[in-house]
Amino acid sequence: MPFAIALLVLLAAACALSSTVSQGQNYESYAAQYGERTAGLIMALRLDDAFHSWWFIGLSAFLCLNLLCCNLIRLPALLKQVRIFADPGKAKEIRATAEARGNGDPHRLFTALRMPRPREREGGALFAAGNRAGFWGAWTCHLGILLLILGFALGQMTAEQYTVYAMPGKTVPLDNTGLTVRIDDFRIDQTENGAVRQYTTTLTVSDPENRTDESGTACVNAPAKLYGYKFYQNSTGWGAGITVLKNGEELQADTLCPGEYIPVRDKPELVIYLQEVYPDYVQRTGMSPVSASDELNNPGYLYRVYYLGELLGMNVLMQGEELTIDEYTVLFDNPRHYTLLAVKRDRFTWLVLLGGLIMLTGLILAFWMHPRTVFAVREDNGWHVYGRCRKSGILFREEFLKAAAEAGFVPCGSDKEEGEDA
Amino acid sequence: MLQTENTLFTIAVIGYFALTIMNFAFVILKKDALAKIALYLQAGIFLLHTAALILRGIGAGRWPMTNQYEFATSFAWALCLVSLVFIRKYRFPVLGAFSSPLILLMIGYAAMQNREVRDLMPSLRSSWLAFHVSTAIIGYGAFGVAFVLSLIFLFRGRMKEDSFWGRHIPQPEKLDMISYRSVCLGILFLTLTILTGAIWAEQAWGSYWSWDPKETWSLVTWIIYAIYLHQRLRKGWKGKAAAWFAVIGFVCVIFTYVGVNTFLPGIHSYA
Ligand code: HEM
Repeated sequence: MPFAIALLVLLAAACALSSTVSQGQNYESYAAQYGERTAGLIMALRLDDAFHSWWFIGLSAFLCLNLLCCNLIRLPALLKQVRIFADPGKAKEIRATAEARGNGDPHRLFTALRMPRPREREGGALFAAGNRAGFWGAWTCHLGILLLILGFALGQMTAEQYTVYAMPGKTVPLDNTGLTVRIDDFRIDQTENGAVRQYTTTLTVSDPENRTDESGTACVNAPAKLYGYKFYQNSTGWGAGITVLKNGEELQADTLCPGEYIPVRDKPELVIYLQEVYPDYVQRTGMSPVSASDELNNPGYLYRVYYLGELLGMNVLMQGEELTIDEYTVLFDNPRHYTLLAVKRDRFTWLVLLGGLIMLTGLILAFWMHPRTVFAVREDNGWHVYGRCRKSGILFREEFLKAAAEAGFVPCGSDKEEGEDA
Repeated sequence: MLQTENTLFTIAVIGYFALTIMNFAFVILKKDALAKIALYLQAGIFLLHTAALILRGIGAGRWPMTNQYEFATSFAWALCLVSLVFIRKYRFPVLGAFSSPLILLMIGYAAMQNREVRDLMPSLRSSWLAFHVSTAIIGYGAFGVAFVLSLIFLFRGRMKEDSFWGRHIPQPEKLDMISYRSVCLGILFLTLTILTGAIWAEQAWGSYWSWDPKETWSLVTWIIYAIYLHQRLRKGWKGKAAAWFAVIGFVCVIFTYVGVNTFLPGIHSYA
């Protein structure tokens, strides 16, 4: 037990320490925040990604090993304990938590202690055992924790995670899974006050190889489940349509989200890159532009043009303005929201949930099912009634003595009774 | 509706203040009748406070536990509820004297928060959120009561058996047991809070555990109380040592609740 406690203290300290360092940054940003020496220490101790560091994983693995050994080693003794507890012949030898004597009614006592049907023994003695499931509390709780950590670890090791974003109407590949995702529709519902109530994406996932597809809707708090992947409504932003003309004739048209680009069809070394869309563009001298609101009042498009990988120029085009590069004309229009979905497949979430539920059950058994036995043995002048309780000794003692007094018995035994036989 | 809620809330704040004074009067004047009045007063304020929360829920059209003000007032409400149950169940009026200042502190903190009803962002529109915060406030309430009981335990050791305190505070062994019971209640509800929070995070963000500082600190709190449980099972570690752990545990609860938002960055910035 001291070892388990030491492990738990270490784990709590490790979590507390790690939470004080913002995770996932690089040496330079720590150095700017804490100074070079501390930054060096943070990197050496892997505190930049503490919860995936070798020492944290090691500590957690050790905890699991301990729990596993503890549960295995204790199992035979536990089984024996449960058997003995319910065996009146053997249980009699164990010291009572509370006792009383006299000419009372033992059945009333059993009923008051919520054990209404005691078993009859030789010589007319009565016996009842209750809450035996309580013996399994700690064991079940530890098992639940083990399963939960196991599920978590397996999930961390095997989960697949992607991001897809696109304007409605577009189809994009789902990383290298072979599947494609088409965004059929994207809707933003608002309250009367203009606050966002819900973001909803309707999408279709297709498997081109087997020519099958599945459709669904993903909104915040209600992901879509398609082909075993869960699609979470994660974010949104503004994208736009782009049209490229050549000598006044339309050459190509497409939609772009910020960060996307298109090569000009008949001159692929010329690339148009959309950096940002401002629905309500405001120019600020000496500072980067911003959007004054999320309303479409004054759309502006920040673009870049590359030629053979070299930046030719960047600027903001307003709605209706055109960019001319030699014989090509580029214009942006029809600004709309795009949707960003987080896609995940974790095959072990159920194990984590199962572990959590088993752990909860264990806690309830350990905390509210305190095993108790009550005996009533005939004596020359009435009955000797006694009971014992594992764990909540003093409270059981009070409950027992009160019930015994009400059933007509007189408390006896030492006042200095320790009260527990754990 | 919200106007009435505002009035009831103000009456509740005044009520908790009066309750604290009444409890102080009880322990200073050592008159048992005052303890009885304090108990009835606490029950009365509890009903008013409950009505205020219900009106808030109806007025806002949602579960009334989604911002700093609502969480703080619910925390005070849960402290009041759990302490009432323990005072009644274990016939222990001195618990009221120690717990009422804590409730007053909590409701005072609530009174300092912005009480405006604002629209919820989509991720907060979830019934798992209602479970998550409801279980959190009950858990926190139970840990608060365990904290108060442990302080009483540590304080009792300095009092003579036949004094007013000796008569009104249960024997150490029983006190330890009552404190243990309230920690058990707290652990069960904290576990439920973490599990429902994880389920909600899984639905909202696709990740049930992301080591966000609030999550991490709720885990730290949970481990501290697990240590408390195991300490109690060691011979000679019940009582004083366990009481100290219950005190440290509650400091962690408060840090998880207010400290994390103030000192550490994370996604739980709203509660
Ligand atoms: C290193 C890991 C751990 C070890 C070796 C360990 C070991 C033990 C042992 C030997 C007991 C006594 C069992 C009994 O009296 O029936 C116990 C009780 C218990 N343990 Fe653990 N434990 C560990 C971690 C945990 C954790 C993380 C929790 C989470 C809450 C936990 C929950 C419990 C509970 C609820 C009890 C019963 C306590 C009571 O009834 O008061 N254990 N543990």
